Amino acid sequence: MKNQQTKATKFFNKVTAHYKAILALSIVVMIAVSLFIPTMTKDTSYDAFLPKDDPILVFRNQTKETFGLKDPMVIAIVNEQGIFNKQTLQLVHELSERLKTIPGIDPDEITSLSTENNIVGTEEGLEVDPFFEIDELTDVKALEVKTAIDNFELYQGSLVSDDHTTTLVVAEMLDSYDKKQHEVYKSLMALLDEYKSHDEQFYLAGEGAVSGYLIRYIDEDAMKTNPFAAVVISIILIFAYRRLRGVVLPNIMVLASVGIALGAMAAFGVDFFVITNGLPVVLIAIAVADGIHILGEYYETAAKHPKFSQKELVVETMIHMWRPITITSITTVAGFLAIAASSYMPPMAYFGLFGALGVFVALVYAVFMIPAAMMFVKPQLSRAYKRDQKIDRFGKLMVFIGKVVVKQPKTIIIIAIVIIGFGINGASKLVINEDRIKNFQADEPIVKADALINSKTDGTSYLDILIETPEVEDIFEPENLQKMEALQTYVETLAHVKGSISIVDFLKKMNQSLNENNPEYYTIPNNRELIAQYFLLYSASGDPTDFDNYVDYDYRLANIRLRMDTSEYAYEKPVVDAVNIYLAEHFNNDTIKATTTGKVTVDAYWINRLGFNHFLGAGLALLVVLIFSALSFKSLWAGILTIIPVSISVLFIYTVMGILDIWLAIGTSMFAAIAIGIGVDFAVHTVDRLKFLLNEQGLPIKQAYSEFYKSAGRALLFNFLALALGFSVLMTSSVPPLSQFGFLVAVAVSVSFIGSLTLLPAIILLIKPKFLNITN
Amino acid sequence: MKTKLILGLLTIALLFPTTSRGQSLPSGQSIADKTYARNEGISMSRKLTMELKDKRGKVRIRETTSLRKYIGDEKRLAIFYITPKSIMGTAFLTYDYPDASIDDDQWLYMPALRKTRRISAANRGDYFLGTDLTYEDIKLETRISRDDYNYETIDKETIDGQETYVLEGIPKNDKIAKELGYSKVKLWVDANMWMLRKAESWDVAGNHLKTTVISDFKKVQDIWTYHKIEVKNHKTNHETIFRISDVDYKTVLNDDVFTKETLVNGL
Repeated sequence: MKNQQTKATKFFNKVTAHYKAILALSIVVMIAVSLFIPTMTKDTSYDAFLPKDDPILVFRNQTKETFGLKDPMVIAIVNEQGIFNKQTLQLVHELSERLKTIPGIDPDEITSLSTENNIVGTEEGLEVDPFFEIDELTDVKALEVKTAIDNFELYQGSLVSDDHTTTLVVAEMLDSYDKKQHEVYKSLMALLDEYKSHDEQFYLAGEGAVSGYLIRYIDEDAMKTNPFAAVVISIILIFAYRRLRGVVLPNIMVLASVGIALGAMAAFGVDFFVITNGLPVVLIAIAVADGIHILGEYYETAAKHPKFSQKELVVETMIHMWRPITITSITTVAGFLAIAASSYMPPMAYFGLFGALGVFVALVYAVFMIPAAMMFVKPQLSRAYKRDQKIDRFGKLMVFIGKVVVKQPKTIIIIAIVIIGFGINGASKLVINEDRIKNFQADEPIVKADALINSKTDGTSYLDILIETPEVEDIFEPENLQKMEALQTYVETLAHVKGSISIVDFLKKMNQSLNENNPEYYTIPNNRELIAQYFLLYSASGDPTDFDNYVDYDYRLANIRLRMDTSEYAYEKPVVDAVNIYLAEHFNNDTIKATTTGKVTVDAYWINRLGFNHFLGAGLALLVVLIFSALSFKSLWAGILTIIPVSISVLFIYTVMGILDIWLAIGTSMFAAIAIGIGVDFAVHTVDRLKFLLNEQGLPIKQAYSEFYKSAGRALLFNFLALALGFSVLMTSSVPPLSQFGFLVAVAVSVSFIGSLTLLPAIILLIKPKFLNITN
Repeated sequence: MKTKLILGLLTIALLFPTTSRGQSLPSGQSIADKTYARNEGISMSRKLTMELKDKRGKVRIRETTSLRKYIGDEKRLAIFYITPKSIMGTAFLTYDYPDASIDDDQWLYMPALRKTRRISAANRGDYFLGTDLTYEDIKLETRISRDDYNYETIDKETIDGQETYVLEGIPKNDKIAKELGYSKVKLWVDANMWMLRKAESWDVAGNHLKTTVISDFKKVQDIWTYHKIEVKNHKTNHETIFRISDVDYKTVLNDDVFTKETLVNGL
């Protein structure tokens, strides 16, 4: 120990000797890395939650490529009087045409009543014509369009709502506009704005729109929460030390931590995801803690040793503080790394990785930059630490808590056991769920548009089923087509599946049209050649690319697209499971193979992993923290003691989630590992300080406790306030998953704090672990 | 008055370079007339292989026998599909009347149905049987329309070592533009054979739509005959290649060949 102390003294003597160079270097590195931040790109798509080489995602992208399926922007045009009139259809046409000129929109992939073709049987043949020609459009013609749609099952619900009040214009985006969806969204909103004065209402939703909206939304949110967090932290610092340097230095650490973490992210080409938005606030709250402890120690030392030079003060402070802040930082890093290690989803893995980097940077700056910077100023006293050792009201509060603990240790332990009981019950009832639209507040226009489109039409969540056959033109085999038809009939019975479209629907329509439009012939012809010839006949008046989205060019692959009216995992997962069971039974032999894909399948796949990831991450964090503190205190008992408060805090949160009906979702699933990594700091400081007072100074237990609550207790209180209030800032975020995440961590940290200062000392008081060498 | 003057000056300024060379370049209309005056033979039979390629590079190949005959000014065309097997025996017949006001008649015989289906009078700009050529393109072959465009001969260029006149055509009115699906065409017409060698077209919205290249010209029985057409659709990236072989102008085709009955019985 003595040896270690001299080493530390030498080290900090060196640091303070080269203070100018160190400070200059600190600032240069911080600025240099931060300069990368503007190059960061945002990825708000759900696909981002899977690694690019995940087979499910690769398969989905192949299917998208084969059938030209992209993330759509869905515009709903609503006319309560019905859309089949000249004016509304004219609007459909105008919008469809103008959409083609919007940068980022694929002009050939616009689907609306004005772009799609009607298939009608004539006396001798088949006619494929647009539903209406704009120059011939009249109110009478509009009613003919209504009849045409009434006779074209395929478009009912997918293009026109069953009550005829809503019609959709679906526009797909060019791949080159990936991550620039917000620009397209903005252009579309501007376009729709021009039609404000019309009787019709316009709504914009769909996968592409949600991504675009989200990019802007998280930007605005970050502009709000980050400065707010900095202000809150500064206010806490003012209260803690009432000194300028007490505010400025921790803030520089915060800037370095956030700047370098995000800068490194940008430099490594890692995208900014929705949850990344929470990272700066989290780092602000955590990074400031080291500064609080160092400054607390500094002012305390200054009060005790009024004759010390600044250099002596700084070195003395650092000798005391380097160990606890290293331990706490490393446990926090462990929490973040546990997320990185347990998360299959890149956004979370990166959150963990760069969060760990940010915390590590804060530690490095605490050890180098703070002492260096302190050398520029003269010794200073804080009014919070008076020479006569009189304690302020924050100190008094802590001393009071100390007294309660010493008197009532058993009551405290009983309360803890009750919380554990409730927590285990809560954990078993956790609901894993996720809904992308829940990223927004309920009154956002995109949420309203999504709800309207989902209620009026077949919905905007797509589940695709890829059908594969061995040979060219095998899709024409009636047996295969009948299988597809049966599959469609089955899936449409599933809850929230509102409709499905495949080549089968077009074929049946052709067959009916070629048989005097007789509804009895809305069937699959039982002859492979005839089917091939139908498609040739169709090509005599249709476009060569008409069926691109449904069948590949050599009629070997086909796509069935299911539409669901919800994007909630709890509803998507059972559908994917049911379809997969059906496919295993009826498909997947030598002649035909079917695989689920599309957004719904991909979502169900990765969200399903959230629960496992959560418990794995929490377990990993606990284990690492346990091992690390056991090693650094050289006692397994010490390790176990330090993880008790955080374990209880996590269990407590499960109960809270149950009561408040909070899902274990993307944002919330990360709370446990982080709450463990951060929350354990209180226990570490408690054990470290008690060990110092009891073991090294050999104080009797009562006196040691009183000392502990008065000094370390006070610093911990401010550390806690900074964390809890910092995370509470996230609660003001307009992104619900982030605000829930902030809320849960803030509560967990509070529980850890209370547990570390009540339960932990209570347990120590009762069991008197050996490593503390307790004497009465 | 002022605007008229400016417009007038502008027109002169615009016309000046062309009028100065105009003496050496024939008018577009006269070139169009020449493409019609060419000897195309009365009847013709040939093998026509259609190669259709989608933007992902997947290919459909359809082999056909194609017959054509002029009966007076009326053009009759029959296409009998040989492969793929699923459409073998399918046959297409069109009567193309010289009077533009009368709609052309088109039928498709579907052997699986044992029935001939009439194909409704398609827009001239509709795509022909899944290819990137329109019905109008098929009808004109190497001719250029006499009635639809206001032409301007803008240049002379060499293609495959042969001299061509370069014409720019703008549809005479919006109705024609819409029917054809083109807002502008640029045509390269061989200055000796009076056959179209290359065409670029722009859609009604002004986007570059297609590039068509006609090549592999050989004299067959003393008649200049093309053996390859390549069309690339720049909007959809779909491509069509027509390969032509076994051209024969000599075998006289009976008028009966071009009837619905022959479609049913095949060749």
